[in-house]
Amino acid sequence: MSNNSNDTNTNGSAGSSGEKSTNAFYKQFLRYAHGVGLKGYSTHYCPGCGHGLAQKYLAETVEELRIKDNTVAISPVGCSVFLYSYMDVGNSQAPHGRAPAVALGHKFANPNASVVSYQGDGDLASIGLAEIVFAAQVGIPIAVVFANNAIYGMTGGQMAPTTLTGQKTTTSPYGRGDIFGQPFKMAELIATLDGPIYVERVALFNAKERAKAKRAIKKAMQLQVENKGFAFVEVLAECPTHLKMEPLSAMKWIQEEMLPIFPLGVKKDVSGEGKGINVITKFAHPNFGPEKLLSVVNGGQNEFTPRYAESFPTHIAKENIALKFAGAGGDGAQTAAMLITSAAINEGYDSTHIPSYGPESRGGTSYADVRVAIEEVSSPSASTPHILVAFNAPSLFKFAPSVLSQGYVIYDSSVVSDVGLLKLSSSIKLIGVPFAEMAAKLGNPLVKNVVALGALQAATKLYPAETFLAALRTNLKSKPNLIELNEKAFWAGVDAVKISLR
Amino acid sequence: MPDSNGKGGKNLSGVAASIPAKNLKRRPFHLKEYCKGCARCIEACSKSCISMGTEINSFTGLMPVNFDLSNCIGCALCVTACPEPYALGMGNSETIEDTHYAGAASAVSDPSAGNIIIPGKYFGKDVERDDTGVMNADVEDIPDEIIPLPESVPLVIKGTYASAIGALLAGCRHFYGYPITPSTEGAELMAKLMPKLDGVFFQAVSEVATVNMMYGTGGAGMPCMTFTSSPGFSLMLEGISYMIGAEVPGVFVNVMRGGPGLGNIAPEQSDIKLVCRGLGHGHTHALVLAPATPQEMLDLTIKAFELTFKYRNPVIIAGDGYLGQMTGKVTLPKSMKRPGVPKWAVYGDKTHRGNLICSIFLTEKDLEEHNLYLSKKYQQICDNEQLSDVFKCSDANILLIACNTPAQTSKGAVTALREKNIKAGLFRPITLWPFPIMALKKLLSGGTIQQIVVVEASEGQLEDELRLALNKAGINKHPTIAHVRRCGGILPSVEEIVQRVCSLQTEIENSEVGR
Repeated sequence: MSNNSNDTNTNGSAGSSGEKSTNAFYKQFLRYAHGVGLKGYSTHYCPGCGHGLAQKYLAETVEELRIKDNTVAISPVGCSVFLYSYMDVGNSQAPHGRAPAVALGHKFANPNASVVSYQGDGDLASIGLAEIVFAAQVGIPIAVVFANNAIYGMTGGQMAPTTLTGQKTTTSPYGRGDIFGQPFKMAELIATLDGPIYVERVALFNAKERAKAKRAIKKAMQLQVENKGFAFVEVLAECPTHLKMEPLSAMKWIQEEMLPIFPLGVKKDVSGEGKGINVITKFAHPNFGPEKLLSVVNGGQNEFTPRYAESFPTHIAKENIALKFAGAGGDGAQTAAMLITSAAINEGYDSTHIPSYGPESRGGTSYADVRVAIEEVSSPSASTPHILVAFNAPSLFKFAPSVLSQGYVIYDSSVVSDVGLLKLSSSIKLIGVPFAEMAAKLGNPLVKNVVALGALQAATKLYPAETFLAALRTNLKSKPNLIELNEKAFWAGVDAVKISLR
Repeated sequence: MPDSNGKGGKNLSGVAASIPAKNLKRRPFHLKEYCKGCARCIEACSKSCISMGTEINSFTGLMPVNFDLSNCIGCALCVTACPEPYALGMGNSETIEDTHYAGAASAVSDPSAGNIIIPGKYFGKDVERDDTGVMNADVEDIPDEIIPLPESVPLVIKGTYASAIGALLAGCRHFYGYPITPSTEGAELMAKLMPKLDGVFFQAVSEVATVNMMYGTGGAGMPCMTFTSSPGFSLMLEGISYMIGAEVPGVFVNVMRGGPGLGNIAPEQSDIKLVCRGLGHGHTHALVLAPATPQEMLDLTIKAFELTFKYRNPVIIAGDGYLGQMTGKVTLPKSMKRPGVPKWAVYGDKTHRGNLICSIFLTEKDLEEHNLYLSKKYQQICDNEQLSDVFKCSDANILLIACNTPAQTSKGAVTALREKNIKAGLFRPITLWPFPIMALKKLLSGGTIQQIVVVEASEGQLEDELRLALNKAGINKHPTIAHVRRCGGILPSVEEIVQRVCSLQTEIENSEVGR
């Protein structure tokens, strides 16, 4: 308790005892029961509760490290839920078990803050297991003070994940056993993870252990000041009320019963090894430059593509054209559809593209609905298209019957040889072009979708060829060496149709 | 407390009178009104200075320990063993004698009247300073900065991308999420773009963790968002309830898919009920925006960030799977935003130290007051934030009502119906909560509308909102309400709508003939 050396920067003038404050507790606890009467100056904890001590050491630490202004404390759900009533720091009260996630949210918002999550065993080791394990593994700098008292306090003495084997609680009235497994050893578990730089289990049952507990909490917070990494301190805390013991007996119980299961000591400490080097301070100053943002969102493409179309292709539809591209994953149906949409927008029309896939990640069906409208796309689906481009037989046979009269069906004749079974209205133009074969001849099977686009252009005159080529070039801006090949593929598709229509 | 320890009035209440022979400079002092008699100090003291209490304190009902400092060596181990902030401290023996706490304690004759000496003064607290956890009244918002954006070519992007870019423009540099089809592309774009802007993209362990990270970052006053889809949104509801209770801003983009359960990944307007009526436990509401095009995904995301801070309440953007995947033309606005820090934020700095983000109101009266306050806020939102759009409504006999992609389809249907000389129009709610009833009321009062047809990709969730809004607005006489509904991932088609409206039109004409 030597405090004369602590010249606090946050407390103003000294109190009448002539000393600076030694802790970061509020002078009055207004947030609990409005701080009425004596309650305004004492905690809500039962006599002998370990939470009071752990929090006192935290409050002393915050004062000693002079970080009141920069500390954010996360209150959990459980007996320690009212931590925010006591600690004179920034306070945030988390849902049950979620304190580490809330802590990360605060840390990312202000990486210069020291963030501490204070949690009990029900909160941390039961409902919040995923949050604590994940937070520990990623190792973002936060401190976690974990009070393990082997029981649920606030809800009235139920079995906790840390309840000892054989221990009787209101939900293990015959003693923990059978189907409830063994007590959860959180410090050991957390220490096995890669993220934490410091993990220690401490206790409060005698002066020596209390001194260690204070040191551990201080170290965990010191690591936050240095922004070094994730620190975890498990405190074996007494819950005399629900152990149904006098406080001194509860202390003895911890020493005799809990210690064999929850051995004290440092479980991991790599805080001095240069590990856990802070990676998040850059988030303190995110970029808000408009030029930077623009270049990030448009990939540096900020040139208007010239327009080539003289009028909307009303020979296909008056004001709203529907196209469908259908094939298997990898056919390039989506890319082709995307180029049609980009080209339409370059020409000043409205256009939409909706992909739909089978559930497979690879090789499943891949369909695209495209709309091109003179003013606004109203119905974005293309269930009855004007133009169908089919990359395989199933797609052709599935969608060709839905094509509108006067429409176009363009398919890959290198994979569909017999179209005799297709019963289409005679007004529909059915055009087979060997996309895949031609692409292979050009040296790259992947450009078969561009061959298809060339075929589409020649067959339908949707836009002038230049419109397609401009969209292609824009699309390939980052891969200029591919432009020539793609242009060749496009013209090959055009030529194939010209020949077939001749 | 009168001198109940019987040791004279010159010492601290409860501290044994005899000053140790060694005349220690520092020794413990004991404020017994704050001692719970737990006896930890007894265990700690090697000189047996402390003993179990023998007298129940009349103010606390507890039995504080007794001190006899004759053998005290000033080791302070009793103080480090005391779990209470203000029960036991170390002090300068001279000054403590001067403070004469026993006399002061006698002022605690009526604790409920607050007639209490602040114990912090003996613990070095500056009792004049208001460090009790109350927001500093002098603190002001650090305002947002509006930054002009150079002109740029329209983007050709999908709806989720448009929303992500909208968020960046609105000043969001914190994205948390968990992959779920069909919303994941938005998260993927954020993963790509955020690092380039020194912003945070973090893939959380679950949707539950996601919403709680938003609780933290939003609580720190920073704009943050997530993309999710129906099952993931279900998981976030607990956190959304906490955010509403604690008044934490945050933007949720729910790209709705088919349900219930795992359902499928195709588009459905499956969560209208959830976003309008079911945001977790308690008295919750949030503004719900329903975009219909990629452009609106961007525009309404920007608006969502504005509204979430304006009202300190989460804002939900309800899209559908179609819209999320749909690529279209998106024009960027003329400006962007650098966010400030609101005065209420728990940012983790000196200015904001007194702040608290919390949804606990322990006493019934406080919680009722808080709920009434929320009601008032909800009412303000209802009065000021209703948004809707109309298409060919001025002379419409048949009014289609639809939102999201079904609204776009309905537009196509209106055009097709008009070609058949049926006077159809579309009313499109852009805010689903609050339902834009004011605009609809005006439309209905025009008198031309004979039939309402709700077009939706759900089994009546939008229609329920419409009926509730009509009822609450006291509009009991309204045109009959028919519907075109598809679900399971199938959206109503233009043909279905046209067919339904044509048959309704025939019915109307027949009834007019029969009259």
